[in-house]
Amino acid sequence: MKPNEQQRIFEEWLNLHRGLLFKVVRSYAFNSHDQDDLFQEITTQLWNSVPRHRGDSAVSTWIYRVALYSAIGWSKKENRHRESHQPILAGDRVLLQPSKAANPQLEWLYEEISQLDEIDRSLTLLLLDGFSYREIGNTMGISQNHVGVRLNRIKKRLTKKSTRRADNGI
Amino acid sequence: MEFEDLQVIWNSQQDEPLYGVNEKGLHNTLRNNSKRFRRLIFWQHLQTFCGCTVAITAIVGLLLLNASGLLGKIGSSRALYGWEIAASLIALLCWLQFALSVYLGNRQQKNHEEYETFSLRDDLDKEINRTKYQIRTRSHIMLGFIPPYFGSTVWIIVVFGVSGISHWAMVPVIAAMVTALIIESRCQRRFVEQQITPRLRELQTLREKLTTAPGSESTTPGGNDIQ
Repeated sequence: MKPNEQQRIFEEWLNLHRGLLFKVVRSYAFNSHDQDDLFQEITTQLWNSVPRHRGDSAVSTWIYRVALYSAIGWSKKENRHRESHQPILAGDRVLLQPSKAANPQLEWLYEEISQLDEIDRSLTLLLLDGFSYREIGNTMGISQNHVGVRLNRIKKRLTKKSTRRADNGI
Repeated sequence: MEFEDLQVIWNSQQDEPLYGVNEKGLHNTLRNNSKRFRRLIFWQHLQTFCGCTVAITAIVGLLLLNASGLLGKIGSSRALYGWEIAASLIALLCWLQFALSVYLGNRQQKNHEEYETFSLRDDLDKEINRTKYQIRTRSHIMLGFIPPYFGSTVWIIVVFGVSGISHWAMVPVIAAMVTALIIESRCQRRFVEQQITPRLRELQTLREKLTTAPGSESTTPGGNDIQ
């Protein structure tokens, strides 16, 4: 694939699906430095993945897979190298933090998602973004039944916590 | 609160993007990352290619000089003995074997990179296999380097002999080569123990987490029992 073509496809993907990348970043990295680092990692992997996409799957599914796999790998690597981490200078930042105050309910939801393990986090993101059990199973490489069992457990957990939160008047 | 209510909260972020993107910075990062990666691969290949080319050219050059009778004109008092020719051919074979094994290893790695994956589990399996391959090759690097080191040593003995340099002068050269081989091997082993093996364990744990339904026994990594 020619670099120009790769660049064009990458930019198109980024423009159409950047929201998806932001959600993954926010679910796997919890401060602005890490979010920037993870976003750079995901976009690099996405760039490299452009020539490999043969159109067998929907672009959103492909991007989700690349992003989730990068995020899972990054979070493991990040834990290992946290101590030797170099700070990212303000001028090198790629991800610009929002200036608007965050929606507290959304903040809470992200907080809850971050409590799940890496795999359950991926499943939850896909579910919340409207993927069917079959699509989630295909993306993750597991059976629909398996997806169902895990997601039912996650749904129960999230609804229980949200009910408790509502009962406490938060 | 029902799960549908959580879905509504989640969908609320569609209206306002979570972050802004520094487009220029992003493209610089991508360009730099890809350039750094290409440069690293280029240098690795160049080092191996140059090492093999220099060694093979030197051995073949010596044999050609000997065959053409020009050896005496460049400082040697005699032609190569029969055993020296045989030793030089053995050294040549050792280096050719090394060059071929590096070439085949690179090709295998390239094929592996191009192997298509269809799911996150495939990606994990691919990475697990690649990590295992790295462990295998790096753990046995001493075996891989023995032929070129042996070939070089044999050839140095021949060159020293034909140049009339004392055999004792070979001792520090051979000692230095053996030490370099041992140091290289230890460095690789430490790298495997400290970096690659923990990575393999993490990948295997992740795969197990992915393929094990809550409350059930784990499945065999690499098996096809789930789909």
